[in-house]
Amino acid sequence: METSDLLSTLTRAEPGAVKAFAEELLPALEPVEVLRNRTGLAMLPMRETAQGASFYLGEILLAEAHVRAAGAEGYAACLGRDLEQALALALIDAAHRAGVAGPAILAFATAQSAALEEADAALRREVEATRVDLETF
Amino acid sequence: MAYVAARGGEQAILRAEALHGRLRAPLSAAIVRQIEAHLPYLVDRVMGEGSLYAPELAALALAQSGGDLYEAVLLLRAYRSTQPRIAYAEPVGQEQLHTLRRISAAFKDIPGGQILGPTLDYSHRLLRLDLLDGLGGPEHGGAPSSSTDGAVTPAELPQTPPGPSSPLPAVADWQRASGLLATLPDAPAPDPAELPDVTRDPVHFPAPRAHRLQSLARADTGGALALGYASMRGYGLAHPTVNELRLAHADVLLRHPITGATFSAGRVRVSQCEVVNTSAVELRLGYAATLGWNEVKVIAAAMLDLEMDAPTPHPAHREEFVLYHTEPVESSGFCIHYKLPHYVTFQSGLDALRAVRAEGSEGSVQAQSGAEEQA
Repeated sequence: METSDLLSTLTRAEPGAVKAFAEELLPALEPVEVLRNRTGLAMLPMRETAQGASFYLGEILLAEAHVRAAGAEGYAACLGRDLEQALALALIDAAHRAGVAGPAILAFATAQSAALEEADAALRREVEATRVDLETF
Repeated sequence: MAYVAARGGEQAILRAEALHGRLRAPLSAAIVRQIEAHLPYLVDRVMGEGSLYAPELAALALAQSGGDLYEAVLLLRAYRSTQPRIAYAEPVGQEQLHTLRRISAAFKDIPGGQILGPTLDYSHRLLRLDLLDGLGGPEHGGAPSSSTDGAVTPAELPQTPPGPSSPLPAVADWQRASGLLATLPDAPAPDPAELPDVTRDPVHFPAPRAHRLQSLARADTGGALALGYASMRGYGLAHPTVNELRLAHADVLLRHPITGATFSAGRVRVSQCEVVNTSAVELRLGYAATLGWNEVKVIAAAMLDLEMDAPTPHPAHREEFVLYHTEPVESSGFCIHYKLPHYVTFQSGLDALRAVRAEGSEGSVQAQSGAEEQA
């Protein structure tokens, strides 16, 4: 699984599950150095459809973490202000890039991805049920 | 005009704040979670006007302010000012949105179809008094919310959902392909970090389009509606139709600083609206978008976008008028500042009034004595 797919999945996963999984990985990652763990803002640009201009829709509160573990650097950012969630994600990213616990990470990410896809598909079914054919008289 | 400092009453101020808190129910983390879960549209409104996507903090701001929207927006903007800017996300394009609602009032048969999504548009506006009577909740077999008439069981839902990237093509793209709209300029995508930014640059008029759309995205819903409604009622020059209205989730795509690849930090709710106006030669679009789901705001703001482009707009639809007067923190802040001590200003006005009256009475005495002398 690519880093971007891994993070894109796990940033949407239930934070408690992500933190518990990172906790399991920790012994294999020592020593861990936290290079950065903070909250901050990301500007979100949007492309409009009327004239094709780009503009800032607003700012997004993020928690981010940058770590060095198992000889590799890991980074992650997630919505909100949960620094532990960002740290756990960055540790998983570092482990993934260092080749530590590869099968376990893949299994965890695959399971989370399947759960998210199931929830997304359920929502899409509910949305699809609101499709309307309007008639004029 | 000058300001002077006033002091005194520290204990009274502290007790006033305590009384404000006592007259509403106590705050707790659980209450904040409930506000976030039960009032998503209110939370979205605060986030849109606060220009900060942070549902948990918007819910906290609402709880802390007792539901005073302007106080809540101010709290969110104040918090925002304490945070460093750490990233610029990749630009969100319509084609990347996870759309939950897309409707057009201009055409009934649009590519991809009309999707009502989550809405009360066609619902009966009836209060659920049965809920208050303890008879309508899920514990009594009723629907958890809204009317039971439209409740859908899982078996009734389409068994095969559309794919994750099932396209809902833009109505405007179809209009462009049909020659009804001017084509978009084929310009390279700008650097996300280099866009004009109203939080860092002063707005000069005519404003860059990026400033205009960012200001509308942050605008006060009530302010945008009031000015937009004036246009709709006939003070404006445009008589537009909603070309397309979308509610969607958008991925916040960040660049991984080590690998350089993009990843999603999560999804945010966004809304956008196009309105279309017919002119003698071609269709013209107005556009607005905001963080969170807020249909009234984007419809009104899109109409204002169209009005502001008119050669001689109504004074209330000039760009400077619209952008300055729909800024929620500045307008509400200026309004409520009038209740703060103005003793010196008012005393000065009274002094002037007394002086004029004194001069007037002296003048009338002199006039009266002059008249008596003439007689």
